[in-house]
Amino acid sequence: MPIFVVASAWLLPGGELWTHFAQTLLSDLVLSTTILLIGVGLGVSVLGTILAYLVVMVEFPGRRWLEWALFLPFAIPAYVLAFVYLGVFDYSGYVQVWMREILGLPGFDIRAGYWAITLTFILVFYPYVYMMARASFKRQKIHMIEAGKMLGASPIRVFWKISVPLARPAIAAGLLVTLMETLADFGVVSLFNYSTFTTAIYSAWGDFRSIEVAAQLASLLVLVAFFLIYFERRARGKAKYYSTDISHIRPYVASGWIGWLLFLFVFSVFMLSFAMPILQIIIWSIEVFAKEWSGKYIGFISSTAILTLSAAALTVTVATILALPSSCKNNSRVLQMLIHFSTLGYALPGSVMAVGLMYGVQNISLINEYFGGSSLNHLLFGSIALLLFAYVSRFMAIAYNSANASAEQIKPVYEQSARLLGASRFRLVWKVYLPMMTPGIMAGALLVAVDVMKELPATYLLRPFGWDTLAIRVYELSAEGLFERAAVPALMMVVFGAVLMLAFNKLDSSRL
Amino acid sequence: MFSRQLTVSAMALTTLLMGSITQIQAATDDTVTVYSSRKEHLIQPLFEQFTKDTGIEVNYLTGKGGDLIERLKLEGENTPADMFMTVDAGDLWYAGTQDIFQDVITNTIVGNIPTYLRDPDGLWTGLSVRARTLVYSTERVNSSELSTYADLADSKWKGKLCLRTSKKIYTKSLVASIIHNEGEDKAEKIVSGWVSNLAATPNAKDSHVMNAILAGQCDVGLVNTYYFGRLIEKTPDAPLKLFWANQDTTGVHVNVSGAGVTKHASNSDGAVQLLEWLSSAKAQAIYGALNKEYPANQNIASDEVVSSWGSFKKDNMNLALVGILQADAVALMQRVGYK
Repeated sequence: MPIFVVASAWLLPGGELWTHFAQTLLSDLVLSTTILLIGVGLGVSVLGTILAYLVVMVEFPGRRWLEWALFLPFAIPAYVLAFVYLGVFDYSGYVQVWMREILGLPGFDIRAGYWAITLTFILVFYPYVYMMARASFKRQKIHMIEAGKMLGASPIRVFWKISVPLARPAIAAGLLVTLMETLADFGVVSLFNYSTFTTAIYSAWGDFRSIEVAAQLASLLVLVAFFLIYFERRARGKAKYYSTDISHIRPYVASGWIGWLLFLFVFSVFMLSFAMPILQIIIWSIEVFAKEWSGKYIGFISSTAILTLSAAALTVTVATILALPSSCKNNSRVLQMLIHFSTLGYALPGSVMAVGLMYGVQNISLINEYFGGSSLNHLLFGSIALLLFAYVSRFMAIAYNSANASAEQIKPVYEQSARLLGASRFRLVWKVYLPMMTPGIMAGALLVAVDVMKELPATYLLRPFGWDTLAIRVYELSAEGLFERAAVPALMMVVFGAVLMLAFNKLDSSRL
Repeated sequence: MFSRQLTVSAMALTTLLMGSITQIQAATDDTVTVYSSRKEHLIQPLFEQFTKDTGIEVNYLTGKGGDLIERLKLEGENTPADMFMTVDAGDLWYAGTQDIFQDVITNTIVGNIPTYLRDPDGLWTGLSVRARTLVYSTERVNSSELSTYADLADSKWKGKLCLRTSKKIYTKSLVASIIHNEGEDKAEKIVSGWVSNLAATPNAKDSHVMNAILAGQCDVGLVNTYYFGRLIEKTPDAPLKLFWANQDTTGVHVNVSGAGVTKHASNSDGAVQLLEWLSSAKAQAIYGALNKEYPANQNIASDEVVSSWGSFKKDNMNLALVGILQADAVALMQRVGYK
């Protein structure tokens, strides 16, 4: 719904502002957005895939704990990681001060250019590719790799020629989510003062008070997301892998110095993306904990928990219904199209989607008033119902991908045999499909929960009175430049997120 | 197992929905409901004191200024909000143009707050004053080298200037005031001079600007004084000082945080009472102590720390003009490539 509201803005005028944007911002923005997407896309694909391959196919020192530890960065909100990195690595951060004073190197501005922000995005978002690629590698038939080995292919050749092509759909799915998140991001780009397409949306709305042009720009963003999804489908191709066999044998053992080198590589990714930022957040938190902590936190924590869990439950319920294997879905292109549309919300910046939703409600109110009813706006704005609806629209992609992946593993033979035995459609779903999909559904629920916990703009605009979350507290303090105090609620979020990610890992290992 | 989980979540949802409806109903009668883009930790102590003094409860919702204005517009006459509070004259002016305020500026407020900090049509009033001025390194800059905002465009500051992003509303208001005082052409030259003097990409926060000066990345910058106040509170020995800009000409650019009573307030009386109380000496002192801002009430002295930075001449152009010129300011900054 928000997407249709946003797209309908093309019916409204916006001429002059477009000329101004075209003259000043647009060409730069298209370029900088493209560069960022390419950099982040390449980075997460390479890093996520290599890490996943190493932990699945190779035995090396520390592999056991690094395998789950690499999930953890997902628990850190991107904007939190960004302000920690700025605090540590920018000109006035410890690292550069040390480099200038001890090594006598010149200082530099990490916010200039592309590389620092690209790296930040890569370190926040690689877990998407990592978790999908890892699951896919685990399902790869060991004998194919053994065959490759026997034919004398080097590990690198096996990686390129066998494992990666087989895992391509999974990598593409992770990449897709990453690119959509990057497009929609506002927190990281504003901290680095990097301009993307989203910047223009906010400028149209915030600076020029033109909600029409903002919506027109936002619909272009949705168009880009639509193309991304299309390419992802193409990359996936027609291939279907019905394999559910999982092997726990690792074909390669890296011992001696190679093993330690691999450990060092994987460990430094973990350090940089999780351990170091957490350490910094803990240090800041300790300094100000007494000043920042108060009874209000009970409220922040409970509203975060309630919103997170109920949104997750609701989103996966809808996603499951959409993902259930069914013959009418396979035959109807329209239906498939609609399902793809429902997952596009992920690419909309949260604030745009929230305002789009408000206008959607307004339209319903107008219709209702036309038929003699009264406006519903004041009842729906600031109601849990609308907020949950926003979460469902925004995070459907995550829940759907996860549920759909497990639905695609269900071999058609189950349906055939169930039908042969005379089972009703309902019984088939309830007794066969749902139990088989449950792990995928639950995994989706946990990921959605973490995302909802981190979500800021829609929560900020649509929450009911008194429903401040930890993310809102982090934002309000960091917006005032009080990063040390913001570290306290940020730490709580990370702990909560890490618990969810560990639950995810446990679930994941039980099915893989 | 799945069905049980479904039932539990359905039950949880129902409870939540009921909860949120009761909450809306609870906020009636005596309570004053405020939408605020001033952050929770800066308003909550004020409201607490107001409730202690008057017995009137305050219910509030924080959010971004633009978002809340949209929400107020769409809620129309059914809005639960009695007051809208925000932190920039431009936002206040824009809210004024969107027909969401009523004219409620009473004699008490007129007595407390000077004219230039209020809307000419009486729709809103400033409640605290923030000055945006020069900050410099006492190690590398002599105060005699500093004079005006325009002087920062001089090539002697090449590679020595740090600025906050043009996306921040305080920057927009400052540039709007320069357009008003110097005219658009001259303003464009000044801002493009700033851009060519930058030592680094404009920073996201005023606190980052000051950190950059302390680290030696640049020598001079522009900040709101209360950010300086917070820094000095934490590190009193920091080699950093404020310089009052444009003292021989137009004076330091000031901005306000302020509020107005909504057009469709269900508790106008309570909201007016709150607005009057916020302009009173007692509340104004809390503003100063909490956030090191200047009082909008001309009858009371600044907070002790704040007055230690010295007194200065303020630019008293009417702040509604800042709002009117803000879009021009943004267009100008985008033309000269101020990010």
